[in-house]
Amino acid sequence: MLASYNWLVELTGVTASPREVADKLTGGGLEVEAFETRGEGLDSVVIAEVRSKTKVPDKDKLSHVVVFDGEGEVDVICGAANVPDPGRRVLFARVGSVLPNGMEIGERKLGGVLSRGMICSEVELEIGTGAEGIFVVPADIEAAPGTPIADALGLRDTIFELGLTPNRPDGLGHIGLARDVAVHFGQTFTPPAPPEPARRGDGELGVSIEVADADRCPRYGAGLVRGVTLGPSPFWLRYRLHCLGLRAIHNVVDATNYVLLEHGHPTHAFDQASVRKRAIVVRLATDGEKMTTLDEVERTLTADDLLICDGEGPVAVAGVMGGANSEIGDATSDVLVECAYFAPRSVRRTGRRLGLHTDASHRFERGVDPNGVPRVLARTTQLIADLAGGAVIGAGVDENAQPIAPPVIDFRLDRCDALLGFETAPAEAVRIFEGLGFSVEKTGERTFRVTVPTFRPDISREVDLTEEVLRFRGFPLVPTTIPHVRPSADGTPLEVRFDRLTRGIAAIAGLYEAVNYAFVSRPELAAARAPEASVILENPLSEDRSVMRTSLLPGLAAAAGRALRRQVQRVTLFEVGNTFTATDGDLPREDQSLAFILAGPREAWIGDGEAFDFYDGKGFIEAIVGPLCLSAPVFSIDDELSEKAPWFHPRRRAAVAVQIDGEHIALGSLGELHPEVAEALDLDTRAIYAELSVPALFRARQAVGDPQASALPRFPAVNRDIAMELDEEHSAGVVADAIRYAAGDLVEQVRLFDLYRGEQVAAGKKSLAFRVTYRDPAATLTDKKVDKAHARAAKAMKAQFAATVR
Amino acid sequence: MTDTDAVTRFEAGLADVREAFGSAFGEAADEQSLRAANAKLTGPEGTLTKLMKLMREVPGDRRREFGQAANALKEEVAAAFDGALVALAQAEREAELAAPHIDVSLPGRRPKPGRLHPITRVTIELVDIFTALGFDVAHGPEIDLYEYNFDKLGFPPDHPATDMQDSFFVKSDGARSMLRTHTSTIQVREMLKRKPPLAIVAPGAVYRRDDDITHSPMFFQIEGLLVDEKVSFADLKGVLTRFAQRLFGPDVGVRGRPSYFPFVEPGAEIDISCVFCKPWEGDAARTAACRVCKGTGWLEILGCGMVHPVVFESVGYDPEKYTGFAFGLGIDRIAMLKYGISDIRMLYENDARFLEQIG
Ligand SMILES: [Zn+2]
Repeated sequence: MLASYNWLVELTGVTASPREVADKLTGGGLEVEAFETRGEGLDSVVIAEVRSKTKVPDKDKLSHVVVFDGEGEVDVICGAANVPDPGRRVLFARVGSVLPNGMEIGERKLGGVLSRGMICSEVELEIGTGAEGIFVVPADIEAAPGTPIADALGLRDTIFELGLTPNRPDGLGHIGLARDVAVHFGQTFTPPAPPEPARRGDGELGVSIEVADADRCPRYGAGLVRGVTLGPSPFWLRYRLHCLGLRAIHNVVDATNYVLLEHGHPTHAFDQASVRKRAIVVRLATDGEKMTTLDEVERTLTADDLLICDGEGPVAVAGVMGGANSEIGDATSDVLVECAYFAPRSVRRTGRRLGLHTDASHRFERGVDPNGVPRVLARTTQLIADLAGGAVIGAGVDENAQPIAPPVIDFRLDRCDALLGFETAPAEAVRIFEGLGFSVEKTGERTFRVTVPTFRPDISREVDLTEEVLRFRGFPLVPTTIPHVRPSADGTPLEVRFDRLTRGIAAIAGLYEAVNYAFVSRPELAAARAPEASVILENPLSEDRSVMRTSLLPGLAAAAGRALRRQVQRVTLFEVGNTFTATDGDLPREDQSLAFILAGPREAWIGDGEAFDFYDGKGFIEAIVGPLCLSAPVFSIDDELSEKAPWFHPRRRAAVAVQIDGEHIALGSLGELHPEVAEALDLDTRAIYAELSVPALFRARQAVGDPQASALPRFPAVNRDIAMELDEEHSAGVVADAIRYAAGDLVEQVRLFDLYRGEQVAAGKKSLAFRVTYRDPAATLTDKKVDKAHARAAKAMKAQFAATVR
Repeated sequence: MTDTDAVTRFEAGLADVREAFGSAFGEAADEQSLRAANAKLTGPEGTLTKLMKLMREVPGDRRREFGQAANALKEEVAAAFDGALVALAQAEREAELAAPHIDVSLPGRRPKPGRLHPITRVTIELVDIFTALGFDVAHGPEIDLYEYNFDKLGFPPDHPATDMQDSFFVKSDGARSMLRTHTSTIQVREMLKRKPPLAIVAPGAVYRRDDDITHSPMFFQIEGLLVDEKVSFADLKGVLTRFAQRLFGPDVGVRGRPSYFPFVEPGAEIDISCVFCKPWEGDAARTAACRVCKGTGWLEILGCGMVHPVVFESVGYDPEKYTGFAFGLGIDRIAMLKYGISDIRMLYENDARFLEQIG
């Protein structure tokens, strides 16, 4: 919404500067987002009188004009066709003037004459949209040659750009804004009185009015102005419309637009002669009914759309846009003015459905003043008559089928003080309310009964009045206190704290946190072989982000691919986020996962290490699950992963779980991406991916409970190595378990320290070397005991794995 | 073999060892060869060990004499070995101390910790500020009912107020559901779940149909809610002032102006002093040229207000007994301000180099 400072000053008599007015409006919640001064920088553009005009020989489009600019006579060459006769005045830019478009006026030799200045049009001066020629000063503007045009035409103004919240439809008209301004500056505001049309003629509307749906059209008023002559509006009005962002059309439409900006209440002017069968009917459309709106688009309507019809068919979509068939035209003589109150929800639904947002619908959907209908109607018809001639006929029609009464609200100042945290004197509250046009009845020492006029539909309860007190007393007055927050019984759920721990430990383990969009595309999910999306957006911004993700892989893979393409060497990204699955209930299931992706060479001291492989992933999981769940993860080959996690390399993947007191808690899976999946995801390298369920991690942590401390060992440990050659098929984990079992209770730890495949061993075989740590918690170990245990281990290797122990 | 043979061989053996060990140990250049030399003498197959085994063959009357001699030699060898070990270690140390300097310009071997995302980092910071004031933390679903996102928060049906939050809807045959447009849904859920007094902050992802340099269709918010008897607007201002100063420093000022959010009344928008041009330092020219605050010296960071009685009614709290405040702020916005991020999309590209700058 654009607002004119001058207009607000005219309405309120306030003398404060534009900046002060803007600050107060903003401080009161009608935010002035920007303001712009008009009429500045035109000091050397002045009124000049034409003294003579002659055609330039051989250049019939150019005139040689002599003007008097208050200081002397000046020769100018002018290309306009409408240079007026001597005696009339024009707008003259002296040499050295800079026009708003940046053009500097200099001397120019044209047609053999030295042209010293320029006669300007509205457009060149950005004071209007009239481009058909130069601006000829109307006779009723009194200004001597030499007067700067800013003074002569009243161009100086400040235009505020307001960012209004949708609860304040009153701010969409200057009268509403003026009310706030007046209260801010302690001024009494009296809205312009409903005018008595000066040239009231006799007779009826000549058209019958029927409101068939009073729920959607609680009030409908109509008036008639007979005998108008279409033509341009006076400059001051055109200029005001121009500054406020509306284009001047002709006096009748300009009048309705002016009243729109004044009262914030849209009206509509019909050509009365085009109303067929002399009848206006306000009714719902039938499904599929069609009409062509002013913008020349044929609209298909539904039974949820309210129409204004004449005896034959629709002439306007109520509150949204008029029809092409009843538009005012040059032949119009009698103007039928409609001023109504349409139900806001109805206008909004129709506007949305048709994709139409107009100055009218913007106001109707926020709520205009139903009880302002007679006043606005009278003002509009009178202004049309003033501008376009003609006579206002009769009193018009006012169908008020469902009167909307102003709410009456009991207001307790004590409650207001308690809520705001500071005190307000009764007289101050009354001043604010009455200044805003509310009527106040005292019901006690500090209680009031307040009647709020219907131009403020945002106020319906006591607390709304409290807000009015705050708006005008001002935010700076509010003290700052720190409340004593009483602890609630529930506290922060452990799951919520676990979320932070999970991210923190993943980062400490060496992973970088990513945050990806939760919406993805179906092809991305398909490329990742992730479950098909079941939560679909109805109105996505694009196909790329049209479904909710079922896996964190597409997002992480995209980030990894982007990084590698940008020559980031190594990707170690993790994400904690939700995946979404539709359910039978109202809402989808949201499963929180911790996922990570590794790609590129692992870190080496100097140079690059080898490419990340499965075991790097395993290491990260161990580094995360260990501290997070206080238990060691178990990795196992699980054929079901072909079904459950088809994105993995079938030979390089594992199910991840923890075993806690015999309970098996599945956490998720880990593996190298299937080469086809990596390719489909645009990764031209191997990548390791893992996805663990955060709730499962949480459950594991809960199952562990508080870890119990045990005494640290007092006796020394003895290390013995065992190396062997055996068939590939035996996994290192199984061999280590067999060592532990065979060697018995003295074993504290079995650790693989060497793995060899190659020339030194036979094909299909590998060499494993373990370091076995023995410890007796109660005594120093003797070599003998260790030897015996270690020999048992060696024997078991031969027996169970046909290993050659070295 | 005769006894005399044994005696002779024994004596000869002792003499050999006595003669040899000193030089054998002395010649060893490192610990490994020293140990090898020692093993030749005292190892299972060593000369001295073999000599000891010869003892059985020595005649009884000489055995004691020879035994003493052999043991004395063994101790001598052991002492020499220990001495040689010490000498070697000493020599090694001296050599190391005298060796050329290491190349300190080679890269350090780093433990490589990862990084938290700036969003997480800011969330943690914000949550900690409010938990220190006594607030609990709550989470809620990202996809929620239209009812929780709008109706129960007092958004009138078909009202332009919902335009302020252009929404993503989810295709559904059942109740109308949507990606939450604000974390205020969690207010509703927590109030339905708990009884006052109640103080929560709720961070999380939210979604709106905007996509440009300052708007991401997914972004993060943190919601705050305090409900108790006698909570006032002054408490709200106090808590937000405390929050702003904890986050951006003690000089940061706070101002507000009334605004409209359907679920609060009175509602307000809060600005803090611009943290880029720091107007409190008095450099007016710097503020005038500041592009972040556009020369105003203020930055808009959050919306807030007193919980609307209509919300209390929708969750079954008595609005005569309880009052409360709520606020919501954009975590992305705070991250951008704090870390000087000019394009919100950087937050969602997850470039490791960016994460390293900030995480
Ligand atoms: Zn600044």
